[in-house]
Amino acid sequence: MLMEIADTLRTKLDPRKTLNSLKGDADPGNSSTGNGTGYDSENDSDPELHEERTGNSDTVKSSRNGKVPLIKLTDVWKVYQMGEVEFAALKGVDLEIYEGEFVVVLGPSGSGKSTLMNLLGCLDIPSHGTVSLNSRDISRMDESELAQIRGQMIGFIFQSFNLIPTLNTLENVTLPLEFQEEESSRARERAEYLLEIVGLSDKHHNLPSQLSGGQRQRVAIARSLAVDPPVLLADEPTGNLDSKTGNYILEFLDELHRKEGKTVIIVTHDMTPVKYATRVVHIKDGEIEKIDEVEGNFCKL
Amino acid sequence: MRNATCVKMALNMLLHSKLRSWLTIIGIVIGVGAVVGIVSLGDAMEAQVQSRLSDLDLAKITISPGYSGAQSRMGGPPGHGGEEGRGGSSSTDTKLTDDDVDALQGIDGILYIDTQISGSEEVDYAGETATLFITGVDPQVWQYMNSLEVESGRLLEPADKNVAVIGNSISTEIFDQDIGVNQVITVNGKSVRVVGILEEEGGGEDKRIYMPIDSAVDLIEDAEEDVFDSIVVKVESEDLVNPTVEEIEEKLMVSRQIHQEKDRDFSVSSSLSLVESVTAMTSAMTLFLGAIAAVSLLVGAVGIANTMFTSVLEKTKEIGTMKAIGAKNRDILMIFIVNSAMVGFVGGIFGVMLGGFVSTLFPYLGVTLMKGGSGTVTGLSPDLMAFGLGLAVLIGVISGAVPAYRASKLKPVDALRYE
Ligand SMILES: Nc1ncnc2c1ncn2[C@@H]1O[C@H](COP(=O)(O)OP(=O)(O)OP(=O)(O)O)[C@@H](O)[C@H]1O
Ligand SMILES: [Mg+2]
Repeated sequence: MLMEIADTLRTKLDPRKTLNSLKGDADPGNSSTGNGTGYDSENDSDPELHEERTGNSDTVKSSRNGKVPLIKLTDVWKVYQMGEVEFAALKGVDLEIYEGEFVVVLGPSGSGKSTLMNLLGCLDIPSHGTVSLNSRDISRMDESELAQIRGQMIGFIFQSFNLIPTLNTLENVTLPLEFQEEESSRARERAEYLLEIVGLSDKHHNLPSQLSGGQRQRVAIARSLAVDPPVLLADEPTGNLDSKTGNYILEFLDELHRKEGKTVIIVTHDMTPVKYATRVVHIKDGEIEKIDEVEGNFCKL
Repeated sequence: MRNATCVKMALNMLLHSKLRSWLTIIGIVIGVGAVVGIVSLGDAMEAQVQSRLSDLDLAKITISPGYSGAQSRMGGPPGHGGEEGRGGSSSTDTKLTDDDVDALQGIDGILYIDTQISGSEEVDYAGETATLFITGVDPQVWQYMNSLEVESGRLLEPADKNVAVIGNSISTEIFDQDIGVNQVITVNGKSVRVVGILEEEGGGEDKRIYMPIDSAVDLIEDAEEDVFDSIVVKVESEDLVNPTVEEIEEKLMVSRQIHQEKDRDFSVSSSLSLVESVTAMTSAMTLFLGAIAAVSLLVGAVGIANTMFTSVLEKTKEIGTMKAIGAKNRDILMIFIVNSAMVGFVGGIFGVMLGGFVSTLFPYLGVTLMKGGSGTVTGLSPDLMAFGLGLAVLIGVISGAVPAYRASKLKPVDALRYE
């Protein structure tokens, strides 16, 4: 069901528009890509695209009234056992994340942000309490179901990019589709399209080591979008980048949120992403201090 | 994950592996090379032994005087009995006589009994002299006991006196002038007419002279009437050889009034026991070499396992990333196992090449073993190559299994946090 929603949301995105608005201002040295050839064919060749549109612009908004949360944390504890000593990185966290939100989890170092993100992304299961995704408790899922969910519903963006160093740009972006057994020509087309969107069409055959940090993170974003997941999870996505490149990445995520209705969750200690957020979750010492609703972010720009 | 993806990822890992992981392949190369080399050596040896032994008549038993423990039972091929009796005997003055022949008469399964004397004597022909091996045989039965064929002339007949059948190379090689049928040679001053020339046999067989025993007694030094250098017995079939050997031993012990094994003064040997002991020897040798090869394979396997463990450790973060983007445990497992199988495969290719190279050296290394036979050692058979490659891949899979399993079981969070 989530995949379907994601697909319908995806139709809202005019790839040309995204490309035009994002290209250039982030990477002025890279203006070789351009004329809109291929986009139509990409759309044609994707039968997963649904013709029906929600037509309802509220979907994009953080719509909590009467809606089921996408991810729901109930009294979540994460306790690390280190020999004799126990350490609680999360102490009874309650959090609901809805479709179409842009959530920034803000907190100082060591406050448990990454721990929280691992739980939101089904990379880990809580020591106590429940994490439910789409009303299903992830503690009850087996390894392959969790892998399935990660592979289809969540796009990860890491602080240190985490590209596979021995695969080139194109192969890195194709990889999530390969794990989903997407047909290879279709996967390749999709990867080329996404690399074009992030402005790296001329870097298909570069290895990650042959890219700048900003370029690597753009490859990582393209990869996170490969399966067109409804949720994007980013842990300090700009932590290793200068502020200009960092801003480009954030703009891009904002664009994906506003135009494609992606649910974006950013975990950071930095205030910059807050301006794009629909909600800011302040976390400290493993507990949620407060949650700020930011109104009017959808009208920005 | 599709198989193609799995192979692609595994190949990618293989192509980007570091020099030191290539070094550990050497273990597999040497192991597979050794196994392939040894198997082909074993095959070659067996072929040699077979071709040498196929000439032997396995239904023959040779009795010779003197006894020097168990090894004399291995004996030599039939016809060599005389030489055997002289060497290694504990009591050279013991003799085989008509009494012994009589003792054998009652034994079931014996078809023919041939009494033989032999000696190396001077042979003159057309002004030249050569020392040749002369065997006096019983002309009544000799032609039935052998598969010898004449090239010209005939074999010995019961009424023959002072005639000889000579080996092929005596006729053509030993003397400048060829010896033909009905020509006369001189042995220790006495004239002997050649009635037959044997077909070429190869080896020492072609330098023998056969004569009726009654005439030979007069020519061979030290020979006495009714005293034999060996008694050769032909039995009905190969199956009867071993029981008949035992029965002959028993009968002779009784007739010669020997009560204890240590007083025994005769030997009974058969070609069959020779074949058996040679076969046992070659297979023991193959087994021994095989054990060495197995050890080197084991070392190779540990080497690959070690490389795989290191590789899994180095790729921990990548494994975490792959799991985060949707790889299942099974996918990770397969990628690493296929990678390990590929490492084995590469090792196998070089190993088979090494084995092939080693097998071309056999003629130089094992000349004495291989004497007489040539052409049997020509490279490796396709089956053996496939076996070598299969073995290498199998070892790759086995030694990669545990590291791959470990990789697949890594928890995504822990793997991602790994630095
Ligand atoms: N595997 C682990 N074993 C033990 N303790 C851990 C483990 N992982 C995290 N912790 C502890 O949990 C706490 C929260 O860690 P976490 O990584 O979530 O912090 P963070 O908020 O992401 O910090 P930063 O901004 O520096 O990344 C830390 O005190 C850390 O030491
Ligand atoms: Mg962190």
